[in-house]
Amino acid sequence: MSLQKILLRFEPKPENLLRALEEIQKENKYISRENCLKVAKYFSLPLARVYSFASFFDEIKLKKSGKKIIKVCSGGPCAMKNSTEIVRQIELLLKIEAENDAYPKYKLEYISCRGLCDRGPIVMVDENVFEKVRPENIDDIILNYL
Amino acid sequence: MQVITKNWEKIDPLNINSYISQRGYEALQKVIRGWTPEQIVAEIKKSGLRGRGGAGFPTGGKWELAAKTKADQKYFICNLDESEPGVYKDRTIAEKNPHQIIEGLLIGAFAIGAKKAYIYINGHYQKQAGILEIALGQAREKEFIGRGIAGSAVDIEVEIFEGAGAYICGEETALLNTIEGKRGEPRLKPPYPPVSGLFGKPTVVDNAETLANIAYIIRRGAKIFSKIGSSISPGTKLFVLEGAVKNKGIFEAPLGISAEELIFNSLYGGGLESGKKFWFAQIGGASGRLMPKSKLDQPLIYPRTNSKSSADSRDKSKIGVGVDGNCEYPLSCGSILVVDKSVDIKEMLFSWASFFHRESCGKCVPCREGTFRLWEIAKRLKSGDLRERDRENVEDILWTLSNTSFCPLGNFAGIAWSDAIKMFEKEVFL
Repeated sequence: MSLQKILLRFEPKPENLLRALEEIQKENKYISRENCLKVAKYFSLPLARVYSFASFFDEIKLKKSGKKIIKVCSGGPCAMKNSTEIVRQIELLLKIEAENDAYPKYKLEYISCRGLCDRGPIVMVDENVFEKVRPENIDDIILNYL
Repeated sequence: MQVITKNWEKIDPLNINSYISQRGYEALQKVIRGWTPEQIVAEIKKSGLRGRGGAGFPTGGKWELAAKTKADQKYFICNLDESEPGVYKDRTIAEKNPHQIIEGLLIGAFAIGAKKAYIYINGHYQKQAGILEIALGQAREKEFIGRGIAGSAVDIEVEIFEGAGAYICGEETALLNTIEGKRGEPRLKPPYPPVSGLFGKPTVVDNAETLANIAYIIRRGAKIFSKIGSSISPGTKLFVLEGAVKNKGIFEAPLGISAEELIFNSLYGGGLESGKKFWFAQIGGASGRLMPKSKLDQPLIYPRTNSKSSADSRDKSKIGVGVDGNCEYPLSCGSILVVDKSVDIKEMLFSWASFFHRESCGKCVPCREGTFRLWEIAKRLKSGDLRERDRENVEDILWTLSNTSFCPLGNFAGIAWSDAIKMFEKEVFL
């Protein structure tokens, strides 16, 4: 879908800005500078306003990234269910370091609460959510989803 | 005693008729047909209901302020942002009985004279947003939402606003900013939202669990509600038990119950998992205090406050000052994380620090820098290469966070750390 088509689904009111950005991201994986400009124009906002808003949210990406992103919850309940051991396993398997952007293929991030504490520990690979992950299942997840 | 969870087993969340058959929307019709907005506000005030999001601000007081403020447009917002680690009560209400929230929202909107209401839901709660969307559609079909609700001349429109998963957006003014298309940074208060909120109009922001109590209060009367639980903060509360406790999950119990009963009574937690020994409990998510065994018998309540100061800046979290001597351990959002002796305190310190470091919005220096440095120290603690100056720096950082941060996120970011250092100095710096 073209950008214009996505934008036209929303009235250019401030309360629609977040939804519009999310929809554009769904289509393009990230929001380029060029697209930010178009959004700014459509909503009659300065480009800086769109950037300041978009960059606030972790979930909105302003840069293209070809990396697989693996996320592990480090919230209290997940931490108590061994999520640190899971991080260690992933670091060993993929030979990467958590929270470090320097590796070309993967990025391992800690995340906070997804509101799924009852089903923790939570691991995510891109948008796939894995619940009740045990350190010994990590191999499986890595093999099948990376 | 069940107020919120009462009919959960009998209700099909995707079918409004199953809610209606359990006397659902009776309260809404009752107030729309026969009550004035002032009567509703008075009833909620009389019930003593306090906000369940964490601050425990009297709900009726908030409504009254918004109702009395004159404006051409007002807003009513249900706060379903909930991203505190260890808390998933609002998510569960939305899953089990979405109409319970919607009915409370509509009654509140009518009481303050708002024609537009929002349900602000955490962006990660996609499934729950879907359930609420279906519920709203069904309520619209039954004419409980839209133009001329329940055969009256009252118009209320309800819309879902999906956030993008930021903890700070649970703070009401940050939440309002994101709806306005601005960064989710908290605003300076006063003015409080009931006076000047969304787009500068009077706005009430209430937690989803708070709203789930409204229909019950209207149906049964404030008097009956105010007799439940503790006299200072009546009603029941959804408690979330997680960690080393045997039965994990959500339990409804009257306010005033002790953590001891919640953790050890077989009705609730049923004690610890076999082979585990109790160490401490964290009350109220990542920003909660650590409760040692000797304090487990304290009643969990929302303490009485000087109503002005509590609205102040403490909505997100808890009230710590100027309250009943009884409330050393603020209940906050009602989660209890039971930690046993096999847990490495350094892992917990890292968990708390990395959470606040990630979620700090960056508006004020104390919080932005404080949470960042604390997180760095947490990493060093974990990997065992603590620097000489870290120890005294921790004290400075914790003091600065709690005394100089702009909003409650920063104020409470160091609470668990302070307690851990006080209680387990040896284990922390070993």
